[in-house]
Amino acid sequence: MTPQSFAVVVSVVAGVAWLLWLTSKFDSRIATARWPGALALALVPLWLALVVYYAPLEEAQGIFQKIFYVHIPAIIPMYTGFALCAVGGALYLRTRDERWDHLAVASAEVGVLFCTLMLVVGPIWAKPVWGHWWVWDLRLTSTLMLWFIYVAYLFLRTFAFGSDTARTFTAVYGIAGTAAIPFVYYAVKIAAGSTMHPSNPASESGGLPPEMGRTVAIGMVAFIWIFAWLVAKRLELASLQARALVASRIGSA
Amino acid sequence: MSWVLAAYAVTAVALLGYMLHLRAARSAALRDLERGG
Repeated sequence: MTPQSFAVVVSVVAGVAWLLWLTSKFDSRIATARWPGALALALVPLWLALVVYYAPLEEAQGIFQKIFYVHIPAIIPMYTGFALCAVGGALYLRTRDERWDHLAVASAEVGVLFCTLMLVVGPIWAKPVWGHWWVWDLRLTSTLMLWFIYVAYLFLRTFAFGSDTARTFTAVYGIAGTAAIPFVYYAVKIAAGSTMHPSNPASESGGLPPEMGRTVAIGMVAFIWIFAWLVAKRLELASLQARALVASRIGSA
Repeated sequence: MSWVLAAYAVTAVALLGYMLHLRAARSAALRDLERGG
């Protein structure tokens, strides 16, 4: 494992562990959310400086390859968000504690944000390089399906706000949705050369020049901490909305 | 160059937009909490 991959793995593990720790005693620990925010704020200017001044121009794609450094970092927050949605759902089914349900919704919402970014930035890269905005190959189509799965999850939540049945149903749905993740991840291998999309960047990054590898790794770490911070802020919102709902019920009773 | 700028601009707008949305929703939830409580 390269030092870049190690830094990314450590960030994912630390980010997920921090979110689980935060959720378990949310009210007394929400003040710690400033640290991931500060870390992300420090890393973003460094990442942008590396993209502009440090990462070399790629021979075949030229300047367009710079989109790589914003497209690839969105992958890990997307998968982490969807996986955490399942973890939150499973913990909610086990404990019936509303905080885990909040974690599931917050993770799914932020995961959809990063999935949307991937689906929008990808075509902006594809148009000048492939000559097409979109091709209906296995990787792109399966990622779009994943996006629809979790957008449907968010719609379900919106239309059934506050209902215990909705929480239970969407927890099961969120767990089942993760079955699509390995399919999307391995879609390029399954398609076996019939796709225009490059192979998985995690396995490919070992072949990148060191300057490119370091730049994309800093971008990934920055995006992981942006993700953790956004999920924490969304958790805070869910907690406030739940308290407001209880207060309004008491007020109207 | 404009494609590259567009990709980074879209990312910045999406992330900042979501942060602003969370901030506005938080203010609205706090108002609801004050009214309800």
